[in-house]
Amino acid sequence: MSNWTDVAAEADLFEGAGIPVSPGGRDIALFAVEGEVFATDNLCTHGNARLCDGFVEGHEIECPFHQGRFDLRTGEATLPPCTQPIKVWPVKVEGGRVFLSLG
Amino acid sequence: MSVSPDALHWEAGGTSRIPFAVYTDEQRHQRELERIFYQGHWCYVGLEAEIPNAGDFKRTVVGERSVIMTRAADGQIHVVENVCAHRGMRFCRKRHGNATEFVCPYHQWSYQPDGTLQGVPFRRGVRQDGKVNGGMPADFNPKDHGLTRLKVAVRGGVVFASFDHDVESLEDYMGPTILQYFDRLFNGRKLTILGYNRQRIPGNWKLMQENIKDPYHPGLLHTWFVTFGLWRADNRSELRMDAHHRHAAMVSTRGSMGQASGQAAHVTQVSSFKESMQLEDPRFLDIVPEPWWQLEDKTPTAVMTTLFPSVIFQQQVNSVSTRHIQPDGHGAFDFVWTHFGFEDDTPEMTQRRLRQANLFGPAGFVSADDGEVIEFSQQAFESKPQHRALAELGGREVGETDHMVTETLIRGMYEYWRKVMEAPEKCDGGAA
Repeated sequence: MSNWTDVAAEADLFEGAGIPVSPGGRDIALFAVEGEVFATDNLCTHGNARLCDGFVEGHEIECPFHQGRFDLRTGEATLPPCTQPIKVWPVKVEGGRVFLSLG
Repeated sequence: MSVSPDALHWEAGGTSRIPFAVYTDEQRHQRELERIFYQGHWCYVGLEAEIPNAGDFKRTVVGERSVIMTRAADGQIHVVENVCAHRGMRFCRKRHGNATEFVCPYHQWSYQPDGTLQGVPFRRGVRQDGKVNGGMPADFNPKDHGLTRLKVAVRGGVVFASFDHDVESLEDYMGPTILQYFDRLFNGRKLTILGYNRQRIPGNWKLMQENIKDPYHPGLLHTWFVTFGLWRADNRSELRMDAHHRHAAMVSTRGSMGQASGQAAHVTQVSSFKESMQLEDPRFLDIVPEPWWQLEDKTPTAVMTTLFPSVIFQQQVNSVSTRHIQPDGHGAFDFVWTHFGFEDDTPEMTQRRLRQANLFGPAGFVSADDGEVIEFSQQAFESKPQHRALAELGGREVGETDHMVTETLIRGMYEYWRKVMEAPEKCDGGAA
């Protein structure tokens, strides 16, 4: 049984970039892509950049520091210099609120 | 940069009387860097064996410019300038290391080992209240802003680089005579790194080239050599040069392939000119001839090769090393020795090379002398730059010889130096 945590209002999200949330002290970025919501760890696995400040291209997030990319759906690194995947978190949207399963 | 130092007065017309001012003038030094180190010449940067794995790098210099020799993921060797394309910072501080990328700490621009610009922080600006502020111009292309890449040549495990991408091939640069001595030492066997010596010598960089083009001094200055029989002016020897007279090889053959004969051989393998003097530890001169010493019908025991302007390749019996000349202003240079061996050396041979390396380097039984005489020469040059030195042993001309009693190689180097330094000013904007 999943334990869902309310982290944000869906209305706070916008297309093109992310927003940071910090449930339980974690640093997580939320992204809206074509109406769907994705959540990843916010810290880039390459440099010390926050991905929420990056640029969304299709289903990829481009890091603002070194222009490496990750797939928001899988966390996979898709463009150097990023090589290590980022963690992705299960998301559900209910009643205008965004919930994460942080299990 | 365009600098025109005052003309030098070369007494007697040729190069047998060398004005002290060639060693003392900062403007002339800048011209040497431009014309000799940054254009038309190859400079030594290191040995492949120093960076055996993908991502390995070594920081070194070409002239006075900091460069990094890298090995990319595909095994290819690159040499890039240690100057960030953004604000020019000398970003790499480590001497050796392994990295998948270089990141300038100032603004975190990141580069691949081949110098390609990889990432520019906030290239697309920074968001604030739904608006994106700043960022690089839309036409900013990272491809145009990589690190300066040098032309690279690798031969026999030795890496050379040049800022001048139109420089002739390394083989043409050495010429056939010097190439055969180079190939004798670096004959394709993998090299192993035994260690480094580094020293700062407060003298002009050319004096080190001259020191190894000067077979007059070893038997006179280096009493250690004489006492223990490693160098004699009457050894069978030759002095060879390339067609430009800029590079040279001092080739000498000690009796019995480097091994002493007669009674001394039974004790120390060394015939001493002062029979009463013995080495406390005779293993310093436990010389064992090696098959690669042979070149055609000769088997030299010592070949000192000066490759103009930046490096000396040393074989002195079983001790082999490179000596990198790294100028720092007209009055000083760093001298970096890389002692190496070969992958097929036995452990005993490795020990032997290490022991014999005690002759060399800043505190070497022999080489300590050279650093001092260069320092003291420079002191005198600075005090009366209008004076000149003499290099007239063996005559005033330049040519190869089959003996050591001559300063012909020094005269040869200055013949070439004058050609390069006296050439009319080109539109030389100072290279890349």
